[in-house]
Amino acid sequence: MRRIEALLLLTTLFSSASAAESPRPRGVGPEFAKLYKSQDTFTCILHPSITIPFSRVNDDYCDCPDGSDEPGTSACTYLSPLSPPQPLPESPSGSSLDTTLALPGFYCKNKGHVPKYIHHSYVNDGVCDYDLCCDGSDEWAGVGGIKCADKCAGIGKEYRKLEEERYKRAMEAGRRRDELVVEARRLREEVKANIGALEVEIRELDTRREDLEKKYMEIDRRERGRVVKSKGKGSRTTVLAGLARQRVEDLRNALVGVAEKRDGLKGRVKELEAILATFKEEYNPNFNDEGVKRAVKAWEDYAANKVETDDDAEDREIEEITQPDSETEGINWAEWETEEGSDVDAIYKFEAYLPASLREWIHNKMADFRAMLVENGILADNSNPDNEPKVVTDARNAFQASTNDLNAKRTSLEDLQNDLSKDYGVDDIFRAMKGKCVETDSGEYTYELCWLDRTMQKSKKGGGHTNMGNFVRFDKLEVDEEVGADGRGLGQGERITLMYENGQHCWNGPNRQTTVVLGCAEKDEIWKVQEQEKCMYRMDVGTPVVCGKVTPKQEGQAKDEL
Amino acid sequence: MHLSLKPSSQWTACVALLSGLTCLIAPTAAVKYENFKTCDQTGFCKRNRAYADHAGQVGASFESPYRIEPDSLSWEQGQLRGTILKTIDAAGETVRLPITISFLESGSARVVVDEEKRQKGEIELRHDSMARKERYNEVESLVIIGGLSLSLTAKEERDVGKTTVKYGPNGKFAAIVKFSPFSIDFARDGATQVKLNDRGLLNMEHWRPKIEKAEPEQKEGEELPAEVQTGEDESTWWDETFGGNTDSKPRGPESIALDITFPGYDHVYGIPEHAGPLSLKQTRGGSGNHADPYRLYNADVFEYIMDSPMTLYGSIPFMQAHKKDSTVGVFWLNAAETWIDIIKEKEAHNPLSLGLGSKMDTKTHWFSESGLLDVFIFLGPTPKDITKAYGELTGFSQLPQEFSITYHQCRWNYNTDEDVKDVDRKMTKYQIPYDVIWLDIEYTDDKKYFTWDPLTFPDPIGMLKQLDESERKLVAIIDPHIKKKDGYHIVDELTKKDLAVHNKEGNAYEGWCWPGSSYWVDCFNPAAIEWWKTLFQYTAFKGSAENVFIWNDMNEPSVFNGPETTMPKDNLHHGNWEHRDVHNINGMTFHNATYQALLSRKKGELRRPFILTRSYYAGSQRLGAMWTGDNQASWDHLAASFPMILNNGIAGYPFAGADVGGFFGNPEKDLLTRWYQAGAFYPFYRGHAHIDTRRREPYLAGEPYTGIITRALRLRYALLPTWYTAFHQASVDGTPIIRPHYFEYPSDEQGFAVDDQFFVGSTGLLAHPVVTEGAESVEMYLPDDELYFDYFDYTLYSGKGKHTISAPLDKIPLLMQGGHIFPRKDRPRRSSGLMRFDPYTLVIVLGKVGMAKGELYVDDGDSFEYEQGAYIHRTFEFSNNVLESKNIATKGKLTDKFLKTMKDVAVERIILVGIPASWTGKSTLKGGVEIECHAAEGPTAAWATVKKPGVKVVEDWRIDFNSLSHVRDEI
Repeated sequence: MRRIEALLLLTTLFSSASAAESPRPRGVGPEFAKLYKSQDTFTCILHPSITIPFSRVNDDYCDCPDGSDEPGTSACTYLSPLSPPQPLPESPSGSSLDTTLALPGFYCKNKGHVPKYIHHSYVNDGVCDYDLCCDGSDEWAGVGGIKCADKCAGIGKEYRKLEEERYKRAMEAGRRRDELVVEARRLREEVKANIGALEVEIRELDTRREDLEKKYMEIDRRERGRVVKSKGKGSRTTVLAGLARQRVEDLRNALVGVAEKRDGLKGRVKELEAILATFKEEYNPNFNDEGVKRAVKAWEDYAANKVETDDDAEDREIEEITQPDSETEGINWAEWETEEGSDVDAIYKFEAYLPASLREWIHNKMADFRAMLVENGILADNSNPDNEPKVVTDARNAFQASTNDLNAKRTSLEDLQNDLSKDYGVDDIFRAMKGKCVETDSGEYTYELCWLDRTMQKSKKGGGHTNMGNFVRFDKLEVDEEVGADGRGLGQGERITLMYENGQHCWNGPNRQTTVVLGCAEKDEIWKVQEQEKCMYRMDVGTPVVCGKVTPKQEGQAKDEL
Repeated sequence: MHLSLKPSSQWTACVALLSGLTCLIAPTAAVKYENFKTCDQTGFCKRNRAYADHAGQVGASFESPYRIEPDSLSWEQGQLRGTILKTIDAAGETVRLPITISFLESGSARVVVDEEKRQKGEIELRHDSMARKERYNEVESLVIIGGLSLSLTAKEERDVGKTTVKYGPNGKFAAIVKFSPFSIDFARDGATQVKLNDRGLLNMEHWRPKIEKAEPEQKEGEELPAEVQTGEDESTWWDETFGGNTDSKPRGPESIALDITFPGYDHVYGIPEHAGPLSLKQTRGGSGNHADPYRLYNADVFEYIMDSPMTLYGSIPFMQAHKKDSTVGVFWLNAAETWIDIIKEKEAHNPLSLGLGSKMDTKTHWFSESGLLDVFIFLGPTPKDITKAYGELTGFSQLPQEFSITYHQCRWNYNTDEDVKDVDRKMTKYQIPYDVIWLDIEYTDDKKYFTWDPLTFPDPIGMLKQLDESERKLVAIIDPHIKKKDGYHIVDELTKKDLAVHNKEGNAYEGWCWPGSSYWVDCFNPAAIEWWKTLFQYTAFKGSAENVFIWNDMNEPSVFNGPETTMPKDNLHHGNWEHRDVHNINGMTFHNATYQALLSRKKGELRRPFILTRSYYAGSQRLGAMWTGDNQASWDHLAASFPMILNNGIAGYPFAGADVGGFFGNPEKDLLTRWYQAGAFYPFYRGHAHIDTRRREPYLAGEPYTGIITRALRLRYALLPTWYTAFHQASVDGTPIIRPHYFEYPSDEQGFAVDDQFFVGSTGLLAHPVVTEGAESVEMYLPDDELYFDYFDYTLYSGKGKHTISAPLDKIPLLMQGGHIFPRKDRPRRSSGLMRFDPYTLVIVLGKVGMAKGELYVDDGDSFEYEQGAYIHRTFEFSNNVLESKNIATKGKLTDKFLKTMKDVAVERIILVGIPASWTGKSTLKGGVEIECHAAEGPTAAWATVKKPGVKVVEDWRIDFNSLSHVRDEI
């Protein structure tokens, strides 16, 4: 019995709730229903001092300065900061400019689909706005004979189907994202492993290098201590000097010739550039002759990318080089061509007269002593790399090679360490995108996005590729875009963007740059490329990378009906 | 340290140097002067100016060699015919110039002078030219559509040496034709208003054979022989070369010229299109004056300059002269290149002068390169009389598609169909109303008109459908140059049917324009129009639909490689008329062909065409809108737009606008915002931008700019019923849509040169848009002692003279003059089509005597059914505290049907501004209608709102405010 009573009570409650719902004035959403309960008077929601007869609610005349008396008509739409101001004594400034509206819009019940608010200015304007108001209730007055049939059943069904697909796609996208996260993690581990390996290697190399260095120093020291060195044969040197001299003369003459030719060409280029500069200045861009425009653009690019060379320095150098050699300048050939081995050197060969053991000892001591003197700058270092003993060269090379190797490894290590600490987004996920590219056709161009690298425009009509920017950083952007039935589109809210800057320079403009805005999709694809401003591109790109976690649905279409 | 400069001053020096350099380098955007001829570089201009100078130097003893042969005169039914003899040499040899003076029923007079020898073809052309021998005599058939009926009441009184014709209303007008030298004085009420050939500058260069003279041997630096110096300068008689193009001039010199003097008048207006003040300047040099005459030779002028008599894209050779309480006008019906010199001189003290009390004479001198001398004289006396009489001849402004007087969103270019759809969505999303989005040339496949670029516009119909969902339209550009390309069906047909303009050899003329090598369709040829009509049919122009309308650009015609960026003058049009003869009317013939084409897109469909044109002539007002061409994003161009539009308006072509934001360059946000506010008062309101500029759709500006721009746009939409009523009025009596002061206050001398503020239609709305950078207020001039109220807050201003009106960036200086009633529709919608059934707000602005009136015209805004009575036309009148709505429409076959569709449309609110203090506190009218009265407060006037008066717009009704009472609602 009690149970039945309770049940009855529930039923009454339910029916009374629905009863309260049915006389709700047109356009009022359930959350505002209680404000429209009285049958006699209505109090403006945000202006409680104003009370009007209830018959004035939805009478197509705006009484309340917050629009609340016209939930079901367009009568209050002129109360807007976007409309020309007019006096409105009830508002704080006395002008309609600073009105606050009480209602979010006209409530479309959309039975069989999702209820929605539609802007009041869409009410009774003669258009069935089915995308928001599938029940056609926005055109209740039938102005101009318009009749909007209730299409919620079909639209709702279609919507649920799409929603189902969207859900599937989202799940799929989420799965892909998870894969990417795994991939990114793997890549990260790989980097870590590489770092570990490298560190070991570097430690080993370091030890080896130290050994080699020691060895080299030793040999070098020893060799430097030698007073007598093997020398190039005098006769061969002088022959060589003669040949070299001839050769240098030839080269010098050739250089002078080339420099002259260069100067001539420089003059021509200057002349041409002046012609083009005037051309650019004087042509009529409004005529838009494609040929002319292309030429001007090419010239602009050329001018923008022109590398300023320090011609003066180069000229000075050339001039210096081309000076004839003399005793004071350049190479003193005479000296080389006449040089002979000096007998004085032989004096130092007194070692030869000593016993081998002593000789060895003295030799070592002398070498050390000499090395010390050289090292301390007391004696001139006459070791000449050109005639360095092979042992020294070999030792030094070995040492140098191992140093180079070590440095390279260290650089790699540093790179890897930087890479590890670099921002690859949440879950490090963009790590998995590195080196991948995606492209799309859009009009006469193919656009290419290389993740974290660069964006590119390739003309289908031929001609070069244009760099539209190099990746510099992640950013965020508030967007409000359509999402197509196929799920393509950014939707609304904050989206991750990749900023690509400093692309190819633009004629009369900045360097090209691209804002790549990312939306969730099952696969990587460029949805849309726009040149929003001159040479400022925006790419809307779908990718699983930015997909959120999808919580599996439980209630299905529970929200679709009230 | 040899550098004694402090770091800071080093920087200063550096910056100064840099900015100095930048100044030098910065490309100064300016017209390419060398592309266009000066008077001195134009043979006939130079010759006629020299003639005027010669006459001036000779002074009083100068005698015009033209005289009427008295015996030749005959009078028949308002028309005086005869022959002028021109003495051409010392021996007294003469040439015969037939003259016809017609006196029209409308009160206008017309003087036509021809040349007998050319008329009869008794001349020889050089170079075996195929051109016609006559002076061009077909401009009338293209321009004049009515008003030529001859006066039955005009009377001629012949006298010795002169004849006098009395004509016009009540015979108040008179033309005094003097025989020798020939001259005509036109008088009204006995006072001379217009004088022809008063200065003896009439010049008709008669035909003469070229006599090959031995070239006088002349060494460099040597003086020319004396005889050559004193004789006529023949150097420009037989050919002229400019910019590498040589004009073969097969007919030799053939210019016509006449001086027209307005005694006692110190202002002349009109003769658009020029960028300069409404009141025209003097043109013979001197401080503040121009050095060249005003030129009319339609041309694609790149980056045109301000305050210049240089020619622009269109020409209307119609001038008004104005002095206190009197306006007169002349219309120079000639389509060839024309120049007009203007000088103003203190009236010589002459006791016989009839223009008593006046101070200044304006003397004009007109010369055209070829054709007939054909001039209409209008004697007013009011500006409205003049524009009406002119409109009766050339036609009134088209009653346009209603959507076309709202906001247009244009850009060179919206790149793809998706781009168009995106802009459309964004405008909706930001709640910014607009009706039309435009496509410039890039939508075509390789600049081939009637095609779509398959890569960027794969789905034009899908795009059009989306636009149509909110009743929005698309305007696509179609230009007169047709790409010369194998396999392009349009050019194949054009050449096969031989419908292109010919060169002087009689072959299709080939020139260079957007598509590269092109031909030009010759719309002087009726067969070309017939062919053109077939191209616009929905079945032929694939991808077009009912919501597509057309933009005709480049129709001067613009020819990139032609002389002065247009066609060679010796090109031949249909009938073998030289291009020289018809140049200025070329643009109109193309506009007309497109107009005819839009009328025949589908059998059974009859809708008003909307076509924007860049080039125009007298009569183009019948065909659609014009705009002032390629302006720049600068404050001076914004400022220049109003004088230009006002001048166009009084010259019979009021459906005019300038590119909002400026075509070239990137406007700063405050400039863009001010331009949108100003544009809300252009009859043609379109935002446009060059392809190299940054995007500037209103929603991109950001706050506060986007909000302010949206308010300006919504102001235009709210006042749409008022604008449409003004357009209707222009379409029936030729009154301009925005009107300069002299037009509305012809007695107020202080207002004669005012061109930075204006009235909107007959509504008493007086606007002074801000056109200067950083302005916080404007000086607004009030022409009378009536009460004026701020449109937005009802602040009261009164007293003739200047008033300072506060004008921060978000404020448009706009006043409502007492004594007027105007209708609004206050509910913001996505487009004008969606406002059709919205209720009206009536604003009643009470004047000093507590009276007000206004009008409302409504029709379907689309079809021609209004011609059969499908419209609402009402007056609203407030007097003796009674507001009354009266029908002033003429009932027709479709009236009832239309009224039925509108029967539910109500007046939702009546706002009364400037109400008597005694109303304060009262709250009901008879029948329980609620009225809310607000007392005056500080500078703000008292005002009232009548809520839901319960009246329909199609009905007669009256509301009696004498029944005001204090009865309060029970609540």
